[in-house]
Amino acid sequence: MSSELNIPNENRPAPKKLIQFRNIVKKFDGQLVLRGINLDIYENEFVTLLGPSGCGKTTLLRILGGFLAPDEGEVIFDGEDITYLPPYKRDLNTVFQKYALFPHMNVFDNVAFGLKIKKEPKDIIYQKVTRMLKLVGLEDFGKRAVHEMSGGQQQRVAIARALVNEPKVLLLDEPLGALDAKLRKGMQRELKKIQKEVGITFIFVTHDQEEALTMSDKIVIMKDGNIQQIGSPTDIYNEPVNRYVANFIGESNIVDGVMIKDYKVMFEDRQFDCVDAGFGTNEKVDVVIRPEDLDIVPVKQGKLRGIVRSTLFKGVHYETVVETKAGTSITVEMIVSEDKPVVNAAAGEMMSANDFYVDADDVAQMLESVNPDAFIIDRADAQAWDPESDERISISRLDYTLSKENGRYPVTFFTAAGTSVTVDMIVQEPNRFVAEEHGEEIYAVNFFKKADEIAESIALETDLKIWANAQAFDLEDGNPVEIVDVEYNFDPEKVTPGTYPVTFKTRGYEYRVDTTKETEVGAVVGLTFDPEDLHIMEKDRV
Amino acid sequence: MKQFRRMTYPYIVWALILIVAPLLLIVLYAFTTKGNDVVTTKFTFDNFVRFFSDTLFLKVLIRSLRVAAITTLACLLLGYYPAYYIARCSETFKMKWVLIITFPTWINLLVRTYAWIGILQDDGIINTMLGWIGLGPFKMMYTEFAVILGMIYNFIPFMILQIYTSLTKMDMSLLEASSDLGADKFQSFLRVTLPLSLPGIISGITLVFLPAVSSFCIPNMLGGGQYMLVGNVIEQYFLSSGDWNFGSAISMIMAVIIILSMYITKKVDVTEKGEAKRA
Repeated sequence: MSSELNIPNENRPAPKKLIQFRNIVKKFDGQLVLRGINLDIYENEFVTLLGPSGCGKTTLLRILGGFLAPDEGEVIFDGEDITYLPPYKRDLNTVFQKYALFPHMNVFDNVAFGLKIKKEPKDIIYQKVTRMLKLVGLEDFGKRAVHEMSGGQQQRVAIARALVNEPKVLLLDEPLGALDAKLRKGMQRELKKIQKEVGITFIFVTHDQEEALTMSDKIVIMKDGNIQQIGSPTDIYNEPVNRYVANFIGESNIVDGVMIKDYKVMFEDRQFDCVDAGFGTNEKVDVVIRPEDLDIVPVKQGKLRGIVRSTLFKGVHYETVVETKAGTSITVEMIVSEDKPVVNAAAGEMMSANDFYVDADDVAQMLESVNPDAFIIDRADAQAWDPESDERISISRLDYTLSKENGRYPVTFFTAAGTSVTVDMIVQEPNRFVAEEHGEEIYAVNFFKKADEIAESIALETDLKIWANAQAFDLEDGNPVEIVDVEYNFDPEKVTPGTYPVTFKTRGYEYRVDTTKETEVGAVVGLTFDPEDLHIMEKDRV
Repeated sequence: MKQFRRMTYPYIVWALILIVAPLLLIVLYAFTTKGNDVVTTKFTFDNFVRFFSDTLFLKVLIRSLRVAAITTLACLLLGYYPAYYIARCSETFKMKWVLIITFPTWINLLVRTYAWIGILQDDGIINTMLGWIGLGPFKMMYTEFAVILGMIYNFIPFMILQIYTSLTKMDMSLLEASSDLGADKFQSFLRVTLPLSLPGIISGITLVFLPAVSSFCIPNMLGGGQYMLVGNVIEQYFLSSGDWNFGSAISMIMAVIIILSMYITKKVDVTEKGEAKRA
């Protein structure tokens, strides 16, 4: 076997198809895990099945190993249909996720297992096992018990145990998952080395994109039971076919753009040269720019301009985030009063609540709700407590009327002991802002607070979001959008009665830039890139 | 920890009075002559000499060991597959099967054994049914067969549960690995499942052999007194003939045999595990 393996690449005959998956479909409990996989794997390739957990990569590997049968489709191995062949009749071996070493055997016997089953002569077994242990660097460990070996060593035993049978294909099911980062790196190099040395096909399953990029000849990216892209690591990194692949393989900046014509793309209201063609005129596209392809330059030299939002030291480089366009924002008023809590000395209770704003939609919701009290208590931030022990006391009863008409309506809160506070519920027009260009809607209301409450807040930005009921939504799918920024101009420790603006903002257009120099946060900078650094992709069709 | 230790004192006193003291009394009785009291204690080895010089007693001893050995082997052979099957069931079925296996032990041993009399006797269920097809009647009651059957029936749950426990601890991916390495189902069983269930087999053997070798109730009822085992002999000397000294001596001999056999099984168990460790 080994003599033909050392033939240099150029002289090797055209690679032969070794494994063909044809339209593999697999369901678990009626749920589609593989949706018609077609994939060819050639001889002597290091192929990686890459995808997040649940994408079906392990299922595909187990079908090839013979541990699962597909519901539809066939597996061709070396020209032969092996779809329903049991594992022990297949000419391939597996390195299992948790190694599955036999605990009642020592290292030598584990490796020798397959050869003993084949009833090979003892001296041949000894030779082969010894050679294999040498290959994985464990020649002195044959007599050790499995549980006395470290994770990395067990891993090597598992590899040796599989390879000693001289399979045509080695399947590896996330074999490096249980190792720490440093050991992983070492094992990655070693696996690649072993694959080159024995010269057989390795099919490697992982969710780690970096691992896939370092080791593979060919990467198969999977998502939800489908193959997204097949290609060499460089192809996949440089020319991802869609947003999903671009995101999964390395950090990416992905922005919405429009293809004006061949070699011209428009995004951020500007036209740029690119090297892609073949899209429809004015077709909406995703534009991918890798962080390392962007450069920070003085504003005048930049193709884009923005503000540096943050910068993180990452060891070899700084990861800088530049915002070129602000997110959707809304500003509300915070009305600070100096009111003090109501004291009921007789019952030993204190109580507080604030006036609050609602709109007609809120009132409609309350009218339909089974328990509108909870909503009112929440909006008014009504609380009662025992000043001695600081323990909270339940609010037992509310007194209010609901109306959709704009105006002020009194709400009174009572405890069981009779302490009460009355505040106003102010019904007014909703305060919302729709940003068409971001496809977002943001919503917040004015609110009343006492100076003490602001000073006592331990997570002020979160509290401000709750007090103002600030929320943002995607206009298309209605999903919530994160509010990333809360701006205010008061000192929470010494806030005085009055009215203060509070602004809530969603994320804008941000670019991740890898630089070697640190850039000051808040600086206005330019961003530049080369036409070939723009990767244009079709929009994902959902 | 210290305050907890104090809470064990009542138990220690309890154990001293009810376990250690009777044991010491048995030793005392075994080495003394009949009819003496604590004041006029006469030491003697006669009781042991009598046991080993009378072939009748040795025959009974050997018969007991043989019956216990057959019972244990039968429990192992009959119990392994059910244990293997249950260990592979889904979690809910496992619980149901374990319940079914242990269910008979909720009923008193005597009652369960009486049921067997009804089944095995000359005009019992089996012989009646055989009669319908013109066979029999066969004599089954008061034979070694009946005694062994009764023992298997009573002790097999212990074997099944022990093996089941050790099989559930086994990682199923080991079987995938062995299949991947070329072993068919039978080879996988021999080389992986069986060796990994060995601790369960050994504790199962211990749990069946010990009660089987010293049992007296089952041979009494199903063997009908014709079929004496050591347990019956001891019972007779204590209850019928009132010779507590000789009864104690036989009990001591049995105890020594049991301790020895436990020691040997432990040894085997340890070497099995030790080999894997060393090798």
